[in-house]
Amino acid sequence: MKIKITAAICISVIAIILGVVFGSIYIPTTDVLRIIGHNVFGLNLPEHITVGRVGIVWSQRLPRTLLAFVVGAMLSVSGAVMQSVLRNPLASSYTLGVSSGASFGASLFILAGITLPFFPMLSLPIMGFVFGFATIFIVMAMAKQLDIRMENHTIILTGMVFALFINAITTLMFSLFREGTQRMVFWQMGSFRLLGWETVLLLAPISLIGILIIAFYKWELDIMTFGEEQAQSIGVNTGRVKLMLLITSAALTGSAIAFVGIIGFVDLVAPHIVRKIFGSSHKHVIPMSAIVGGTFMVVADLVARTITSPSELPVGAITAIIGAPFFAYIYFTKRKGH
Amino acid sequence: MLSLTNVSAGYDGVDVIKNISFDVSGCVSIIGPNGCGKTTLLKAIANTLPSKGNIKVLGKSFRDMSRREVSLNVAMLSQQPSIYFSYDVFDTVMMGRYLHIKGRITGSPTQHDNLVVTKSLEAVDLLEEKDKNITKLSGGQLQRVFLARALAQEPRIILLDEPTNHLDLKCQVELITYLKKWATEGNRAIVGVLHDINLAMLLSDDMIVMKNGEIATNGKATEIIASGLLNQVYDMNVTEYMRGVLCKWGV
Repeated sequence: MKIKITAAICISVIAIILGVVFGSIYIPTTDVLRIIGHNVFGLNLPEHITVGRVGIVWSQRLPRTLLAFVVGAMLSVSGAVMQSVLRNPLASSYTLGVSSGASFGASLFILAGITLPFFPMLSLPIMGFVFGFATIFIVMAMAKQLDIRMENHTIILTGMVFALFINAITTLMFSLFREGTQRMVFWQMGSFRLLGWETVLLLAPISLIGILIIAFYKWELDIMTFGEEQAQSIGVNTGRVKLMLLITSAALTGSAIAFVGIIGFVDLVAPHIVRKIFGSSHKHVIPMSAIVGGTFMVVADLVARTITSPSELPVGAITAIIGAPFFAYIYFTKRKGH
Repeated sequence: MLSLTNVSAGYDGVDVIKNISFDVSGCVSIIGPNGCGKTTLLKAIANTLPSKGNIKVLGKSFRDMSRREVSLNVAMLSQQPSIYFSYDVFDTVMMGRYLHIKGRITGSPTQHDNLVVTKSLEAVDLLEEKDKNITKLSGGQLQRVFLARALAQEPRIILLDEPTNHLDLKCQVELITYLKKWATEGNRAIVGVLHDINLAMLLSDDMIVMKNGEIATNGKATEIIASGLLNQVYDMNVTEYMRGVLCKWGV
């Protein structure tokens, strides 16, 4: 297990380095390390490294890559929690409509130009969280109305229909604004473009706190995968734990989506890979989902901005190309299993 | 050890079980037709469903006990749940130590927890399979894993909610025989809901018969069967059916 964990961490570090090294122009690893050393420790820069290159590494690629890692980690951990709490391997913020709800809330605020008093910086994450959290409850209530047994496919279908509906409203809102269409494409398929250190420094502590809260409930998450009644008889206060976990995962998804738009499937793919490699115990699933999800997102973003360079694809398109067939694979193998 | 006085419980404000009263020290089986409230009664005793009336465990009322305290004394073994995520046998049984582990500042299993889990696995004869994935086990082995998890809780009372469903005959008999031994040797109690009257009689000499959410009768199993009451409860001639089965066996 230790070897697997070490390998995953090494791969994530390599992915982050590659994310900074590659782009519209190639900057060698040694130069990247010198630029980071210069900005962090005040070390001298060799003459061949121009101010332009320093700007590319320090102001654009490094914050962007780190942001991709943080967002990937937040979405993946949130997905892992939803799968365990709902005992549904297909559950995720994306398939349950939480991402769409959060995106709707954030775009409402962006387009209306509203900011919350006292904490203007936190307006977007708070709205993302509130709308994302509201969405999960609406979807669950609708699914219960449709099917009292809350079968997996009912929950997922309800979530996806609700997500499509909310996305349509968001699209309509953007379309009403001039030059809204271009912005909308990136918003609905996600992008790390034009986001800098301030977003990293805001989301990093939110992700750390959220993931630590979820990690605190690792035992409860394990036990609840066997069903609520079993968990209650073992002594888990399922009502309180479930609410706490759903609030925290909605906060993780909502605050990430509020800045980068909807990025689907990473929250489904990463936890699934983690369970295959590291087992289902949440003492491993939670931290490793963060690492694998973060790495996956860094690589997806790298592909999104280099494959059609100098123009850029929405990162959500890349995650969907990998994630959608993956979703179908899990759905059909689980159905076959039942 | 377990005492119920006028216990009522149900769902959405409608009582499914009404004014149930009985005392248990040792093993008791509960039988009755589908929908008579057996599982609801177990949920009330396990404190996973709110109830009216008074339930006492070891002389202490539920009203004066936290959920934690109840779960430390009462464990439940149900039908096998659907398994969506795979765990090792050892890790699954360790989940039974949840309240003991969570009660500590470190929140980690100790040597003592490992010992309890090992002993529980030994008791159900699964120690050799401890590193095996539970999805790779047979139905009988899996139910023994859940029994070991219940044993790892170190409860004084185990509630059985038709745990023998989907098990073959040998596994059914072994499970019930082991549980009876566990209760008798350790001065513990078992309340077992079992559909199979023969298994119910294997578990205990005493029997509670339920009908329409109430206790139809309560006493020695042999006397209840001799009285012919089961024919009314199940709305069929149970005695004739059993006799017919035994004739086919050549008895």
